[in-house]
Amino acid sequence: MPWIDLNRSIRRALLIVLLPASIALMGAAWVIHGALLERMARSFVEDRLREEVSFLKHRINQADGSINALSTGDYFEAVFHHAFAVRVGSQRYFSLARWKPLLAPLLEENGTGFIRRTDSDGAISDYFAYRENFKLGEREVVIVVAEDLSRIDASQRELHIWTAVVSAVLLGLLVLVIWMAIRLSLASVTNLQTALKQLQQGERERLDSDTPEEFRPLVHQLNQLLDTLDQRLARSREALANLSHSVKTPITAVRQVLEERDQHLDWGTRQQLAQRLSDIDGQLENEMRRSRFAGAQAGKGAAPVTQARELIWMLGRLYLDKDFELETALADERRWPIEEYDLNEVLGNILDNAGKWGASRVVLSLREDKAGLVMEVSDDGPGVTRERLSTLGTRGQRLDEQAPGHGLGLAIVRDVVRRYGGWVVFDCSESGGLQVRIVLPDRVSL
Amino acid sequence: MRLLLVEDDSLLAESLQRQLSSAGFSVDAIATASGADQLGRQEDYRVVVLDLGLPDGNGLEVLRGWRARGLTMPVVILTARSDWQDKVSGLKAGADDYLAKPFQTEELLARLDALIRRSEGRVDSMLCAGRFKLDENRQVLATPDGEEHPLTGTEFRLLRCLMSRPGQLFSKERLLEQVYNLDESPTHNAIEAYIRRLRKLAGKDAIVTRRGQGYMFNALD
Repeated sequence: MPWIDLNRSIRRALLIVLLPASIALMGAAWVIHGALLERMARSFVEDRLREEVSFLKHRINQADGSINALSTGDYFEAVFHHAFAVRVGSQRYFSLARWKPLLAPLLEENGTGFIRRTDSDGAISDYFAYRENFKLGEREVVIVVAEDLSRIDASQRELHIWTAVVSAVLLGLLVLVIWMAIRLSLASVTNLQTALKQLQQGERERLDSDTPEEFRPLVHQLNQLLDTLDQRLARSREALANLSHSVKTPITAVRQVLEERDQHLDWGTRQQLAQRLSDIDGQLENEMRRSRFAGAQAGKGAAPVTQARELIWMLGRLYLDKDFELETALADERRWPIEEYDLNEVLGNILDNAGKWGASRVVLSLREDKAGLVMEVSDDGPGVTRERLSTLGTRGQRLDEQAPGHGLGLAIVRDVVRRYGGWVVFDCSESGGLQVRIVLPDRVSL
Repeated sequence: MRLLLVEDDSLLAESLQRQLSSAGFSVDAIATASGADQLGRQEDYRVVVLDLGLPDGNGLEVLRGWRARGLTMPVVILTARSDWQDKVSGLKAGADDYLAKPFQTEELLARLDALIRRSEGRVDSMLCAGRFKLDENRQVLATPDGEEHPLTGTEFRLLRCLMSRPGQLFSKERLLEQVYNLDESPTHNAIEAYIRRLRKLAGKDAIVTRRGQGYMFNALD
């Protein structure tokens, strides 16, 4: 059913399912009621007809085949609600004259059983009869008792219509109850909507966690997202403030020097100007990279194997004399809860660093173990002395090593990893080079 | 040595043109993607410096167009963006090197030097086996479905060995020789892992295993 999308609205979905269902069920109950009523009436009529036939039979036996005895006595009128006809030999008797044309042919046929006629002409078009044949001495006796069904049908129909009316009223009540139930149970959604509106308008800061159980995780997640947003806003404000502080001064200096008409620019001044611009670039790069990190976020993930392969291939093209290798047992489709850009930044920087220092070989290994998600890069370069291992990629180190690619990359890696609640370990590799091991928790904690 | 400089910032372009000329290049400078595309196809350049953000299009599209036409001159791309994905797509499009702005002219000259030296005597070497093509310069495998798969160092050497003689059986020992440096202690398991990965790229039937004997590249048509 493409024209009804049940996921669009809970209220609509419930109404669409419950209303037709209750109408259909009520209708079915009514139809079944009609069928049962019909059957009950039929068996009631059958029983009565049979009883009357046996009563007549008894009387005929008592009177020894004399039909005249049947017509005497008023109580017949009271006992027999139905018309009957009797034939003993060639003698016939009809209890009511208007039934005569209908019952006469039945008397001539043989066989015991019920007969139903619905198409006969005359006053009585629909009747039901029971015929019994038996022998009395040498004479053949046929008794037919018949009932006009139209009268019964009419009362039955009336009853059925009354049932329909009652059903309709009950259906109305049921619909009302359904509607009320939906309304009541969705009232919490309306509350949530109002709360969201208030949130948008700034009338409240967080959503109320006192909601039905079904919505509690949702509200919790939303509140966490709001926290994350707040943190991010605070962070980017701080970054921009830092940036403007550290960029405006060198810009002012450069402009001042350039706008001084009479001043000739000697080589020393030019170098100073260039240095100021490089500083600006460094600051920009630094802050921009930091603000581009997504950090741990629900619903963001990346395929580490695919990304690592691409980076390794690329670095292999740039450092042609070095062999970049990937060692992993993870499937290509395996996803880690790390945002794609962030993962690229981590892998790219440690691989690039290893490519710079490694002599001939860089190995990246990706695995998952008890500690979490592990990324390990080893190279066969000169390595770093034990004492200096702990200072790698720390802030102080970065600032005084502004030469391209030195330190900055590892500082960025540290930053990203910290944001995911993971850690970086620097160590000596088997071949004496540097080994960088990054461990990230395998679950996002916002 | 002819060099094509594609850069839309006139100040930067003029300054670069001066400095590249004084470094011995004969420089053609152009500021648009369409012009660059045409010049690259008409003229025979030794090397190209290509800016990615051009007013009338993306430099990567121009580069893809050249490579699709079989032009193999080395290309250095310049861009102001510095994320890793950008570098990967630049190299995938066929660039040979990558320089993020701002850069120093010495750095650019050094890169150009290295690229030219590297590309000297380089012939367009494609190793073909059936409908598989292994681009030896770019270390990329093109599968019959037209997809390109970048390969890591070992994957490439292993595949080059297998594809050099399609239909010939290579023992694990022989492949280990090809693949590892001397100081490593190779294991058969490692070879199996590499073969598994290559099969994933090239398709299950492309590399056949002969139990206990070795592997064979099956050049299906």
